[in-house]
Amino acid sequence: MTPPPPTERRGIFTPELLDRCISCGFCLPACPTYSLTGEETSSPRGRINLMRAIETGQLAVDDPTVVEESSFCLGCRACEPVCPAGVQYGALLEEWRDELWHEGRRPLKLRPLLWAVDAPARVRLMGVPRRHAKGAGERPASASLMLGCFERVLYPRVSRSARKLDPKLRVPSGQGCCGALHAHNGELERGNELARELGEALPGTIVTTSGGCSAHLASVLGPERVKELSQWLAGRSSTEPAKPAEARLRIGFQDSCHARNGLGVWKEPRELIATVGEYVELSSAAACCGAAGTYAILRPEDSARVLDRHLDEIAEADLDVLAVANPGCYRQLQQGVKRRKLRTRVLHLAELLAGER
Amino acid sequence: MSPLLRAPRAPGSGLSRRLEEIVGSDHVRDDPGALLTFATDATPLERGDPDCVVFPATTEEVAEVLKVANERRIPVVPRGSGTNLSGGTVPHHGGIVLVLTRMNELKEVSSDDLVAVCEPGVRTIELAQAAAAKRLLFPPDPGSQTTATLGGNVAECSGGLRALKYGITRDYVLGVEAVLATGEVIRTGGRLVKDVAGYDLSRLLCGSEGTLAVMTELTLRLIPAAEASGTGMAYFDDLADAARAVSRVLASGILPVTLEFLDQVCIGAVEDYAHIGLDTSAGALLIFGQDGDQQSIDADMVRMAEACEAEGATQLRIAGSPAEAADVLEARRAALPSLSRLEPLTLLEDATVPRSRIAEMVEYIQGVARRHELKIGTFGHAGDGNLHPTVVLDPADADAVRRAHDAFAEIFAKAIEMGGTITGEHGVGMVKLKYMERQHGPEYMALLRRIKAAFDPNGILNPGKLGS
Repeated sequence: MTPPPPTERRGIFTPELLDRCISCGFCLPACPTYSLTGEETSSPRGRINLMRAIETGQLAVDDPTVVEESSFCLGCRACEPVCPAGVQYGALLEEWRDELWHEGRRPLKLRPLLWAVDAPARVRLMGVPRRHAKGAGERPASASLMLGCFERVLYPRVSRSARKLDPKLRVPSGQGCCGALHAHNGELERGNELARELGEALPGTIVTTSGGCSAHLASVLGPERVKELSQWLAGRSSTEPAKPAEARLRIGFQDSCHARNGLGVWKEPRELIATVGEYVELSSAAACCGAAGTYAILRPEDSARVLDRHLDEIAEADLDVLAVANPGCYRQLQQGVKRRKLRTRVLHLAELLAGER
Repeated sequence: MSPLLRAPRAPGSGLSRRLEEIVGSDHVRDDPGALLTFATDATPLERGDPDCVVFPATTEEVAEVLKVANERRIPVVPRGSGTNLSGGTVPHHGGIVLVLTRMNELKEVSSDDLVAVCEPGVRTIELAQAAAAKRLLFPPDPGSQTTATLGGNVAECSGGLRALKYGITRDYVLGVEAVLATGEVIRTGGRLVKDVAGYDLSRLLCGSEGTLAVMTELTLRLIPAAEASGTGMAYFDDLADAARAVSRVLASGILPVTLEFLDQVCIGAVEDYAHIGLDTSAGALLIFGQDGDQQSIDADMVRMAEACEAEGATQLRIAGSPAEAADVLEARRAALPSLSRLEPLTLLEDATVPRSRIAEMVEYIQGVARRHELKIGTFGHAGDGNLHPTVVLDPADADAVRRAHDAFAEIFAKAIEMGGTITGEHGVGMVKLKYMERQHGPEYMALLRRIKAAFDPNGILNPGKLGS
């Protein structure tokens, strides 16, 4: 028996998180980057071995393979639900990037993005020219609608649709960023702080139209406090989704990775879609589309490679609509569908249910 | 014994460049980070540092890589997805890790000849699904089937949950194309059930753990899929009761497709992962199942339930749907990794005894756990006597690690004494080599070394393991 690796720790990772993995390899087939390369080094198990190596000093923190793999990982967390040992890979990745991308080491392209959402005032300004949802809702408010930072700029109709589906939702105007962008990109503490601040700004249950935000908020504020939109709607019998006027649409769905893998939300959106059309499960539905937060900006070529399989399946299934549950996926799939000149319309689940076609 | 090899480690030895000429520069890795991720497989505490990792795409490339390695006397460790549990794919002597996952073409699934032909990097589940689509069955279903490759399954002679009724991987290997350590390509067997032209080298290669040749194509036997299947669960106060129920079932003349058990420690860990409503207060769970036509399934399920009741089953449940049955079996497959929820280090063995002695062995393991003050979770393929006693412990507790190894030494000795084996399906690898001689004696070991030398005269293939 060879002696176990050195046990000194550099304190980059929480020991209980890092020790959980027993290297069984059950995660390999679930990992999109392992599918692309077929190399252990780009698998969750391989990356955890890299994390362990930098934790014990066996490899330098800035070893080129370590740096590459920390960034090549999509952070989709598809490895988590298939892990019998219960490894919290997403939390490990946050700690990894917190070490690698902190302050001066952060990729240049990320800096303006993080700056933009770091202060509520700037986030609010981004939304000013666009008509995102507004309104006081029910008083006293038992639930608030969270406005995504980039969603309010890129897809303001999503929050309006959400509020159409549940007019009692309150939409506080001064709300800032949930901090997911920070937490996933090397600013873990600031990310958690922003989540707590948002928790104070939004009364009652926080309802979000963004899977990525919902998982981060839930990890900081607790899952009881936060509901992804489909979870919220599915839990309310009073909600009557709009009935389709036209012939039954063939509708596919792209899971939000963090809603599915982080919060376990995947049944709800499918059941809701089935109330307005014919739901078609694509075999890529649960796999990351390659948007992956800032990934599409940082690694556009890898992002496009990850997306390809999804576009192939959408084309093959000849869908009328592909529903999404996260602004990043929205942009990624909308652009991909346009590039391929497919007839499929990409809509947020909220828009689809609210009858916005 | 072949001399222990050590690859030239100095940079500039040109090994990687030479290999890049064969497989292309995108398919050789020698950066320290990548090497580190190929230093281990799924075996705890075992590691070895490779000098480079090569990903060939064709038989010809494998042959060229082996020729280079043989000329330079560099160790080569063939590997698939790295789910090995006996340290068999750990490069203890450095050298080249030869990863075969790029060779992943499923070439044929033939309903006419009832065979599948595939490259070694095809995953077990992919073949199982392709066969099922044609209403055929590839029975070996190791716990790691979603990740593990068929090349690895054949090299290790994997078992699984259906072994009692359908046998293990060796029963389904009809033919092999393999590259010898010296670079020659051979083919053994073929698409035939009957073929006695020569030594049965397919069977020899099956379970050879990468020490004799590198398999590059497999011809595997398929059988018609059963029309239906049924799965039931029985809870007991104690694992020994469940073991006696197993003996009673088998003595009653039934050959079930599934007879799996888990003790209380394992039930708790599995339920924590799978959330399928297992009763975590029970001392043991026996999963029993049958396949075939509906009428005989129904009859057998009743008889198995009766056998369980006769041995004191506290609760019985028949799965109401195939989905429920699949959940239970899937959860059972996840038993080992689930156990790591209890402590970060899980040391697992797979001692196997004749099925008539399973209750006795279970009680012996419980005694060993008490004597060495260890937490041992036991699960396994009760019907074929294949047990997986698993010690869960804190790796920092060096004394507990030592006690665990002592405990396994006693369990192995007991298994051999009972007419059993040190490994039912995980392979000898590095971990159990020292127990081999105790089981087989020196003459057998000497013959193994002569066979190894005939295939691999310079001892480059997976050195330090079988035949070394």
